[in-house]
Amino acid sequence: MSDPLLRVERVSKSYGDEQVLREISFEMDRGDVTVLIGPSGSGKSTMLRCVNRLTEVDSGEIYLDGERVTGPDVDVNELRRQVGMVFQDFNLFAHLTARGNVMLGPRQVLGLSKEEARRRADEQLALVGLADQADSYPAELSGGQKQRVGIARALAMEPKLMLFDEPTSALDPELIGEVLEVMRDLVERGMTMLVVTHEMSFARSVASEIMFLDGGRIVERGPPEQLFERPEHDRTATFLRRITQLHS
Amino acid sequence: MTGVELPPIALQQASDWAFVWENSGYLFAGTALTIALTVASVLLGFFVGFPAGVVEVYGGRASRGLVETVGVVLRGTPIVVILIFMYFVFPTPDLTIGVLGVTASLSGAFLAGVLGLGLRSAAYQSQIFRGALQSVDEGQMEAARSIGMDKLASIRHVVVPQALRRSVPGFQNEVTIVLKDTSVVFAIGLAELLTRSYDLFVVRTTAVLEILLFASAIYFVLTFTTNRALDLVSARYAIPGGESA
Repeated sequence: MSDPLLRVERVSKSYGDEQVLREISFEMDRGDVTVLIGPSGSGKSTMLRCVNRLTEVDSGEIYLDGERVTGPDVDVNELRRQVGMVFQDFNLFAHLTARGNVMLGPRQVLGLSKEEARRRADEQLALVGLADQADSYPAELSGGQKQRVGIARALAMEPKLMLFDEPTSALDPELIGEVLEVMRDLVERGMTMLVVTHEMSFARSVASEIMFLDGGRIVERGPPEQLFERPEHDRTATFLRRITQLHS
Repeated sequence: MTGVELPPIALQQASDWAFVWENSGYLFAGTALTIALTVASVLLGFFVGFPAGVVEVYGGRASRGLVETVGVVLRGTPIVVILIFMYFVFPTPDLTIGVLGVTASLSGAFLAGVLGLGLRSAAYQSQIFRGALQSVDEGQMEAARSIGMDKLASIRHVVVPQALRRSVPGFQNEVTIVLKDTSVVFAIGLAELLTRSYDLFVVRTTAVLEILLFASAIYFVLTFTTNRALDLVSARYAIPGGESA
């Protein structure tokens, strides 16, 4: 039972005088979908980025599958191979086709042959509904399509954990649905996901746990029903009221 | 009408053009040297300047400091001084190279010219590539690192391919500048196109304009064709739909 996939222990992080994370601790089991919500600047993205060490923690420890991933002796490339990340701004490789984007990691990092990497890329693109766009370049795709390629690119590494950093925030409203749909599929396939989002209906329907961050602290956490129906803190209630009004 | 009559101006010009024509072989030999110097210098400049640009963006403190300092010195020194330095202070020996049974002798002056023009071009090219590398969005590097690629692989497979495409306009400029700057090798006794033009109009002062027009036309053909060729390369490798990602 006490064999979590991800364990975050008292993680703190400051940028200059500003403390963005204050002793954050939480755990995720395999198959969990944990959603981080909170006002901008509350430290959600920083928390995510500490997990794959795009940002270094100041103090505290993070364990993935029992292995400590914080610390100077850890092979960050090995860690990142196991943790997929999806970015708000997609960050697709601009000079590569959709297929090229998905193939690059398997080719360069996993050492797959060109044929194997290509097969894997085409599989992943089919899973996100983009089999017919494999030869398109990022600039030829819509935002929703770009983000689905971004998800396929991360999945092609067969990660244990997926990090989503506001995956729909840069999208036009009518394109959000297709990305959330792909994420729902992923939940159904049992992927462990740590998600920063403002899509409350999505959070409510798929999250196993929601954590409300404010000022670098976890103010409140719990299953979606509890947070949405009976928030214990005023700040949580106020935030949820404001954001649901905004998005309804 | 009596007395000595000068030939009509048109005939005079015609004979000046004939003079240019008679000596065109001499000028074309100079052109060959101009082309050889340009190609060798630009290539040397690329193979030194590109890594230098990468070091300036991604290098450690020490390597970056060294590259930046050398660059500032090379860019801040007049090219004639650099060439004289290469030729007289560190004399380059004559060199004979044989490739597949074909041997070519390279004079010390030629090698000094290539070193001087090439290293200075490297200093300028490093700035073209530095700017291009820095213009690639940071998110590209982050995305590459996030799938487990190390820094070098990320630079090589993600940043450099995009930066090279953006370097083409600056590189076109640099090629044309090097091409025309080859004329300063007269300072170390090499006679390329412009030096030979000078030699000719000293002999026949009425043909100054004709000779310079002829030489300029050759420079124009050379710059135009290299620019067009690089345009074609650029179009060939353009990213469909543009660069947004």
